[in-house]
Amino acid sequence: MLTLGLFVVISFVVSLAALAALIWAISSDQFSFSQRQARIIFEPDEEGQLDDPTISPRNGRSTHGNIEPTKFDLLRSSIDASTARPVSVLIGSAVLWLVIGSAFGLIASLKLHLPDWLDTQAWLTFGRVRTLHLTLVIYGWLSMAGIGIAMWVTPRIFQAPLQSPTLAIWGTIFWNIGLVAGVIAIACGWSDGEEWLEIPWQIDGLLAIGGALCAVPLIRTAFTRNVEHIYVSGWYYLAALCWFPALFVIANIPGIFVGAEQATVNWWFAHNVLGLWLTPLGLGAAYYFIPKIIGKPVYSYALSLLGFWALALFYSQVGIHHLIGGPVPTWVVTLSIVQSVMMFVPVIAVAINQHVVVARNMWAFRASIPLRFISLGAIMYTAASFEGSLEALRSVNTVTHFTQFTVGHAHLGAYGFTSFVFFGCLYYMLPRITGRDWPLPSLIAAHFWLVVGGFSIYFVALTIGGWLQGEAMLDATRPFSASVILLKPFLEGRSVGGALMTLGHLLFAANVIAMFARGRHPASAEGSVA
Amino acid sequence: MSDDRRPVDERFEPYEPRRRVPLPVYWIAIALAIWGTLTLWRDAHAGFIAGRQRGDEAAADTRRAAAPGADLFLARCSSCHQPDGSGIAGAVPPLAGSPLVKADPSVVVRILLRGIDGPITVAGQHFDGHMPSFASVLDDDQLARIATYVRARFGDNASAVSPSDVAAARAWAAGHPGPWRGGDEIRAALMPLLEPQPAYVASLIAAPDPSILALVQHGTGGGWSCASCHGDLGEGHGDAPRIAGLSSPYLLAQLRAFAGGARTSDAMAPVATSLADAQKIALASYYSQLATPSASVPALQGALDRGEALALDGDSAKGIPACFSCHGSSGFGVAPAFPPIAAQQPAYTAGRLAGFARQAKQGSHALMPSVAARLDDADRRAIADYLATLPPVPTGTAPPAEQH
Amino acid sequence: MNRSLPLIILAMAILAFATTLLVIVPKFQIGHEPAPAGLHPYTAQQQRGRDQYVALGCVYCHSQQPRTPDQAPDAERGWGRASVAADYAYDSPHLMGTMRTGPDLMNVGARLPSMGWQLSHLYQPRAISPWSIMPSYPFLFEVKDKAAPGDTVVWLPAKSAPPGKVVVAKPEAIDLAAYLIALDRTYPVPSTAIRDDGYAKHGAGR
Repeated sequence: MLTLGLFVVISFVVSLAALAALIWAISSDQFSFSQRQARIIFEPDEEGQLDDPTISPRNGRSTHGNIEPTKFDLLRSSIDASTARPVSVLIGSAVLWLVIGSAFGLIASLKLHLPDWLDTQAWLTFGRVRTLHLTLVIYGWLSMAGIGIAMWVTPRIFQAPLQSPTLAIWGTIFWNIGLVAGVIAIACGWSDGEEWLEIPWQIDGLLAIGGALCAVPLIRTAFTRNVEHIYVSGWYYLAALCWFPALFVIANIPGIFVGAEQATVNWWFAHNVLGLWLTPLGLGAAYYFIPKIIGKPVYSYALSLLGFWALALFYSQVGIHHLIGGPVPTWVVTLSIVQSVMMFVPVIAVAINQHVVVARNMWAFRASIPLRFISLGAIMYTAASFEGSLEALRSVNTVTHFTQFTVGHAHLGAYGFTSFVFFGCLYYMLPRITGRDWPLPSLIAAHFWLVVGGFSIYFVALTIGGWLQGEAMLDATRPFSASVILLKPFLEGRSVGGALMTLGHLLFAANVIAMFARGRHPASAEGSVA
Repeated sequence: MSDDRRPVDERFEPYEPRRRVPLPVYWIAIALAIWGTLTLWRDAHAGFIAGRQRGDEAAADTRRAAAPGADLFLARCSSCHQPDGSGIAGAVPPLAGSPLVKADPSVVVRILLRGIDGPITVAGQHFDGHMPSFASVLDDDQLARIATYVRARFGDNASAVSPSDVAAARAWAAGHPGPWRGGDEIRAALMPLLEPQPAYVASLIAAPDPSILALVQHGTGGGWSCASCHGDLGEGHGDAPRIAGLSSPYLLAQLRAFAGGARTSDAMAPVATSLADAQKIALASYYSQLATPSASVPALQGALDRGEALALDGDSAKGIPACFSCHGSSGFGVAPAFPPIAAQQPAYTAGRLAGFARQAKQGSHALMPSVAARLDDADRRAIADYLATLPPVPTGTAPPAEQH
Repeated sequence: MNRSLPLIILAMAILAFATTLLVIVPKFQIGHEPAPAGLHPYTAQQQRGRDQYVALGCVYCHSQQPRTPDQAPDAERGWGRASVAADYAYDSPHLMGTMRTGPDLMNVGARLPSMGWQLSHLYQPRAISPWSIMPSYPFLFEVKDKAAPGDTVVWLPAKSAPPGKVVVAKPEAIDLAAYLIALDRTYPVPSTAIRDDGYAKHGAGR
């Protein structure tokens, strides 16, 4: 045991030393890093202007539904044209999975307080519907939307057209086939049985191939870029695109791990899907779009360096906090707890960077719905991370572990943060991709308020209900049934919130469908020839 | 939103050439690092304590499980058959010199597995045989050790018994439920050369109605039987309590309370509701007569010395009376109101105490709720584990009636 | 931060470091533990039942990892002693779970060993516990006019039984119940057993 205790000390010391070295390097300017580089996302003279294609500031809302390209858009037109097709395919699929995934989520939520509803078919039982929801929204909506946004942003920050876009389309096709096969398998009861890894490993290969085909064009673009500096979004994207395949493949290799070992692999993976995949995708997007829409660089570019590397260092080691009080070695659990709390460092760094620039430009926050989505998402990233760090504390975890509180927390991260950011990004991107205004602009605000209202109800209900549930379970003088009975009204509240969110998604999907249905504006199609 | 309130020029913001990392970020990082170090130290210490604790428990478990035959004999047999195997004249047959002990090994094993309920003659002396079955409370290995010890010591070094012998006998016993009907049946089935045995008299203890036995083993309508949760001999499992040897009026009152809703239990309510009152009476009577060895072992990491102190003396500082002041010395119960608590399953005892504490919170001033309200979590576990170490109500002894 | 390759290499190195700590070292430590003598591999029927448990997603509401009395009153609820790594030696996939929408099932076989109870409860949990929000699983059962010889008839309280019919368990239900009854890890474990001991208290316990 002594040697293992040594292990945890060493790993903590290594992490701290790396953090200290990073801080030293930043403060003594070892990276020759300057605020000037934060402006790489702007063309000359572009800085300082609100950039939001959902409103047409130049001449009010245009009547013929086409956006007026600015001169900056024209500068980027060849870059945007190279990504238009793969990104459209990715986003179209993502929005489809969002709608189907939220429908399953709503069914699962209803089933928890209407347990005898839809109980005659095995594929509609709670255990499967809930899993279909998770698989569809994580691997369908969030992953594909995140890749799509990364594929659109990366060539822009590298100022080079996307390399081999056809590969990306094939990647999307493979990913979709894998997802459909996986979803059908789960519905039929064929599942690997571990949370976040339910898709049978025999099918996972399709997803792995699809992911690789999507990653290659982006990495090739990075190597053929026309700028010296890699903007911060690029770090997150490049790292995430290398991390996720490694995680996914290692976690899905069958037959190596059994029992308690498997549990550590399971949670190492599941938390890294959030920490090293969805979080970088979301943060990379926020780092690009927040300054881009406002027209101001982030607050302190040096901080973004700290935020990125500290995230990599600490987030990668937090997974075992899902097994606190469980049958795995004390030292692994403690390591994950300590590193979870150390996550305050990168989160604060990112928070300062992104929130200060928004706070100083509240006029833009009021004016632009995409910015509102993205910036609210960034705020929820800060909130989710702080909450996650506190939840990892043993004293707090004793109450919240095994309760709906955790579900609320997971949605704060995966929905409040990433989905909100992605909604905003898509509202910004699709007019640029299609060259058209949003066909149903009034639905944008409706979508915003529905998901904000719905999610507030959702989160508050599960957070309060989950905490009370946990306290009831810790009190031996209350029977287990007390924890279930007190939870029911909160579960009903969650269904109300979930229904509002689902309705918002339908409006969003209607807008996206209407937009794609009209096809790409001929002017931007010409741009692709140019 | 469509009205354009966008400031025309927001470009004059005084950017530093290089903005430093704000100082508070450093302070926070340093504070977190210090906290992390303290946490590592604290958890390492906790791990050390838990390891030692588990070591103690494992040692106790190992002692229990791997006790040599001599220890098992002392714990399980000697209180009746006496440590020197001489038995008690007129009450318990001797083992020393008994032909049953010297005979084929299967005889001892089969008696241990089924128990005896009927008159028996050993070495010319007559006894009313009431020996419990050990089938469900000891495993093959332990039974083999006891049998080997008994045969070696009291049967002139008769041959050893192996666990596989016990397993074979167990398979046979599955087809022969219930205790041996006195020496007569043993002689007929196993040892034709045994001295003449008295005839079996069914009325020693009112033999249960076959329909009640069916209820115990198979439940009503093939559903849940008593035995499926409480064990073949009512010895209990987990939080399904030991019901063997509890007084008949107490058991009946509980069954009626479950049916009427005065006592709540999700598992018992449908069962009790489906039983006719006559069946309830018969079941209560059946289980009150079952003499089953204890199958309870401490399982809640309770502090046994604290449990013993609470059971024997209570805790006057906290206003807790001794358990045994009402439940009888040794926790054997005082009929009809105070059930036996010795040898009860610890998870049941602790859960029941927690339930009483809940009733107190809900305003009950009854005796048990007001006592249980003063027990904390550790006390409940201590009492439950201590009671699990005690022997059960002795064979064939009715609990003394309450004195007024 | 201006070169892709060093960035990717360093990022992967950090992940490799984390993987070593969180996956590889625990694997060697846990894999070194022998399976306890009291733990038996699943029989064919129990394994089929376990597959049902996986396929129906029971794990999303039921944990299989009781905590220590120092942390939570799991043992007092009858859920059994705190589990240790070796208790899962034959489990693949592991089913430790992260939710207790329903109670812990690590020792449900010791707590509710009645096949009849398990079948009734699977058919309609609210027949037994009116407050329960567990799904009912009617598709694991058949409702017949009359039971054929060899059928396992499920007993139900009168209010939940289909009038004039009998409910018969399909083999899937019997397998699942057999697995649940087999969930009994009440045997003792050695002092070297591995689990998270971070909640141990001074002077608590014995």
